[in-house]
Amino acid sequence: MGDNVLSSIRKRSVILLVLILVCGFGSVLSRLFYLQIIQGRELSDLAVAQQMSDTVVTAKRGSIYDRNGNTLASSANVWKVVLAPIYFENDSDRRQVSEGLANILGMNADDIMELAKKSDSYYQTVKRQVESDERNKILELIERISKNNPKLGSVIVLEEDFKRYYPYNDFAASVIGFTGADGQGLSGLEYEYDSYLTGIPGRVVSENDGWGAAMPFEYEQKQEARDGNSLVLTIDETIQHFLEKHLKQGIIDYNVADGAVAICMDVKTGQIYGMATENSFDLNDPYEISDESAKKSLEKMATSKREEAESELLAKQWRNKAISDSYYPGSVFKIITAAASLEEGTSKLSTTFFCTGSYVPYEGVEPINCHNHDGHGQQTFAEALCNSCNPAFMQMGNALGYDNYWEYFQSFGFNSQTGIDLPGEGTGLFFHHDGEPEGSMWPTDLAIGSFGQGITVTPIEMVTAVSAVANGGKLVKPYLVKQIVDADGNVVETTETTVKRQIISQDTADKMAAILEKNAAEGTAKNGYVAGYRIAGKTGTSEKIGQSRKKNTMDYIASYCGFAPADDPQIALLVYFDTPTGDAYYGSQVAAPVFANIMSEICPYLGIEAQYTDEEMKHVSTTANSYISLDVESARNAVKGDGFEPFIMGDGDAVVAQIPEPGSQIPRGGRIVLYTTTDSTKETVTVPDLIGYTVSEVNEISQEYNVNISYSGSVDQDTVYSYSQSIDSGMQVAPGTVITVYFGNDDVDDTVM
Amino acid sequence: MFEKLSDKIRSVPTALKEFLLNTSAEAGQVLSPEKLKVRRRKKYSLLSMGNGLDTVFVLLVIGVLIIGLVMMFSASFPVAYFSKDSSYYYIKRQLLFAVVGVAVMFALSFVDYHYYHKLAVPALGVAWFLMIVVVLANLKSTDPRRWLNIGPISIQVSEICKFALILFLAHWSSLYYDKMKSFKFGVAPGIVLLVITSFLLYLEPHYSGIVICGLIIAIMLGLAGVPLRYFAIAAAGGGGIVSIMAVTGKLTYAMSRLDGWGQALEYTTVEMWNTTWQTRNSLYAIGSGGLWGLGLGQSRQKYMYLPEPQNDFVFAIVCEELGFIGAAVILIVFAVLVWRGIRICLKAKDKFGTLLGVGLMAQIGLQVVLNILVITDWLPNTGISLPFFSYGGSSLLMLLGQMGIVMNISRSASIEKK
Repeated sequence: MGDNVLSSIRKRSVILLVLILVCGFGSVLSRLFYLQIIQGRELSDLAVAQQMSDTVVTAKRGSIYDRNGNTLASSANVWKVVLAPIYFENDSDRRQVSEGLANILGMNADDIMELAKKSDSYYQTVKRQVESDERNKILELIERISKNNPKLGSVIVLEEDFKRYYPYNDFAASVIGFTGADGQGLSGLEYEYDSYLTGIPGRVVSENDGWGAAMPFEYEQKQEARDGNSLVLTIDETIQHFLEKHLKQGIIDYNVADGAVAICMDVKTGQIYGMATENSFDLNDPYEISDESAKKSLEKMATSKREEAESELLAKQWRNKAISDSYYPGSVFKIITAAASLEEGTSKLSTTFFCTGSYVPYEGVEPINCHNHDGHGQQTFAEALCNSCNPAFMQMGNALGYDNYWEYFQSFGFNSQTGIDLPGEGTGLFFHHDGEPEGSMWPTDLAIGSFGQGITVTPIEMVTAVSAVANGGKLVKPYLVKQIVDADGNVVETTETTVKRQIISQDTADKMAAILEKNAAEGTAKNGYVAGYRIAGKTGTSEKIGQSRKKNTMDYIASYCGFAPADDPQIALLVYFDTPTGDAYYGSQVAAPVFANIMSEICPYLGIEAQYTDEEMKHVSTTANSYISLDVESARNAVKGDGFEPFIMGDGDAVVAQIPEPGSQIPRGGRIVLYTTTDSTKETVTVPDLIGYTVSEVNEISQEYNVNISYSGSVDQDTVYSYSQSIDSGMQVAPGTVITVYFGNDDVDDTVM
Repeated sequence: MFEKLSDKIRSVPTALKEFLLNTSAEAGQVLSPEKLKVRRRKKYSLLSMGNGLDTVFVLLVIGVLIIGLVMMFSASFPVAYFSKDSSYYYIKRQLLFAVVGVAVMFALSFVDYHYYHKLAVPALGVAWFLMIVVVLANLKSTDPRRWLNIGPISIQVSEICKFALILFLAHWSSLYYDKMKSFKFGVAPGIVLLVITSFLLYLEPHYSGIVICGLIIAIMLGLAGVPLRYFAIAAAGGGGIVSIMAVTGKLTYAMSRLDGWGQALEYTTVEMWNTTWQTRNSLYAIGSGGLWGLGLGQSRQKYMYLPEPQNDFVFAIVCEELGFIGAAVILIVFAVLVWRGIRICLKAKDKFGTLLGVGLMAQIGLQVVLNILVITDWLPNTGISLPFFSYGGSSLLMLLGQMGIVMNISRSASIEKK
């Protein structure tokens, strides 16, 4: 019996074995085959995706330097604090971390707690642009919390971040531009050259374990971040400063309502030395309304309206007027009409024009007035420009003709962008008549267009066009970035001068320079004259486009564009005031003095050699030597020997003090007051009223009052009058004090229609 | 066959021959102490083909044990390092139990398995008692109550229960073999065992334990000759319940309760993503292995992605490191072990030895299959360890002890041949 029983048990055992091996192990093997071989790739990718962490390493944004290496914009390391709430295990850890971070970052712990509760997230940004000392405190916090629970070490992540600093705040704001929260350029050069400045962010691909820490395998792949390139601008910090300083003063002096522009350009290369637009804003805080009065009225507004008004104000303050605004160029455009006429030969230097005070461009229209209602009479070509005579220019334009006018408008680049390396450049507009082809003009168009009305230009177009006249007729492309250098200082790109075309011949250009120099010295542009620097220039006063701010009056734009020195032009300068609301609003009254003030600083700064006329020589300042501690007699002789007039105060034996002080500037032949006793230094004189006199009259008064005069502006003739003095009359000053007196003439150059 | 055997037996000493003929003839009877004494006097030698220890089986057990220890170490060291501050935390303990376990295995290989007739009923009683104790001792615990802590050692009581069931059913079947075809002796005890055991496991709860114990009961009864129709009825009944649940929609509810079973890669909610975390990362690990694997020690998933890689999911790390090839080789070694063990037991001279040995070996095969089906997401993640691989001292001790019993069956069979 036993073996039968056993054999049936054995049989069943064998069946069981076969079942386990075939069905059990068979299905297990096939399942593994499916997962590992057929689905293996897919699963492995999923596994790798969760194991690999791909960290972006921020590239440092390049700096912006002026042409002399002064830093205008730079980036500094800051940190971004990120939470990875997925690694939290309980609320007490969340609370601990939230409170720790809140203490360090000065935030609300509950806000951080909210982020910490997003328990399936790896990435919750807590705060950006955290400075290094806060970062160090966070590192300590991480160490402290991970001591008890190593998993908590992965909860706080510190990522490298960069912050943009503009050391000069509102300096050249509209040119440099600013960056957004993610470091991307939003305006100006920051926007235009964003791709160069940004650099290439790096990546660190590493294998992390389930708690986010690095695995002990050497599989980390690192791709270094390539820091952004830096920009070296053509802007000269000093020149830019001159422009901004004088524009700001001009805005105050002339109650300028809508901002001002000054552009200084190298006529040969197209490099922009300075481009100032006022009103400006702080690049470190671009969203703050810089206009105080506008800000105040904004605060009073209803919330619903405020937002829109604020964004309008911001758009206005960020707008770069120098390249975006277009305006009627007015009489400055006469340079173009004159140059085109000379080049085409439609008018010659010998051509004469007659002005009766008004002119009828063609039968059947109202006569157009000259600013000189009495008429300029018979004028040569040069005199017509110096008088800025509208009837003469209407005649000149008539001779030039429609086609030439349109052609030169184009070739001087007024209906196209100059191509300057800034975003948002506008263009001027030619006359436009619906249904007629581009460039077509009506007779009145030609008449008013010849003296710069009816067509619009941008400031940058205007200064570029005048630069072409200064540059022997060659139109160059203006640019702001001289070089692009990489993070190690190697030059990546150097901008070459682009000569677009020869518009007028060298000969025509020379003739124009001579006429414009004469204009600045003697003509309507003489308020822009700077002694010794052979300024050539032209004023312009034009009616502003659009609605005026008061009924029955017009808003004007006062501008002055010129270059120096006339015999070898190097720099061109445009000064433009938008809507001066004071008594003075003509280009010659408003823009010209500012132009002169800027030029008088830029020319010596750039090392342009002064060439004085004999008359000017008398008023040129020299440096006062020291005569202190000499005995009275030898001091008197030394002062005489140096070409000054001695004036002794007190009855001591030796000089104890002097005015002007040693090293200060004093006009040639001026007085040096020598004090021989300390008591005598207390004596004062009263500053006389020096406004409204000719140069020689001022000279006489100064002798009477025992003060020195520094002459500023055009001084070589007696048709100019003083209009301003550096120390107000009635002030008590030491004898011999130097008072700067500004001369100019208040002739108005022209009016508009 | 009977004659042939008798011929062989005739060549052994007379006293023994008499005894052996008696026992094999009246298979399954409880032996008197005198007879056992005689038996024990017959010396087993430690390692001798001639004297009955199956060397191939021993080598297979030791081989699987070593592979298991190596892989468990590889899988566990990162977790041990980060959670227990020592990479050797798990392997040290496991090694200790392995050494003790091997000693126990060899010791038990000298203990005549017929002794266990006596232990059959008490063992089952003790197992059930411990299961009640475990539940009562941890009444307030919300975690599954599966572990009995005795000092530093914690024992998974279901391990004891599985062994007790095999032992009891081998004992019962050999005792009442002739009546096993009847409902009263064949089916009814099975149902009673299943109901009591299942209920106790349900209290823990330990669902995979219910599945394993159920299968063990079925296997043991099947081996003992319970007619297939009862299994067919049971299967039909089970199938019927499942289909009713499927129709009424309760199955999907139950399925979703089963820890996101089968949805490890198709999670739709954060909750689901969290519950299927372990299974998903197991699949990632298995898939990452590909054909050849990442190499021993090169697993990525064991770095805190796959939770508790030293336990039930150790084979996922094996798959990742050794690839399909390595996994297949290990499975084949397991298969050979099961085959060899069952082959040994088929040579046993009595029903009890055969049933007990085959049952024990079948349990190993069963757990290997079920474990891998769990880690590959074909079965719900409910805690089935992989024999010789998964970390757990008491379980390893039990396993090696059971191998010792099989080794004794091998010895006895060989000696009895002589």
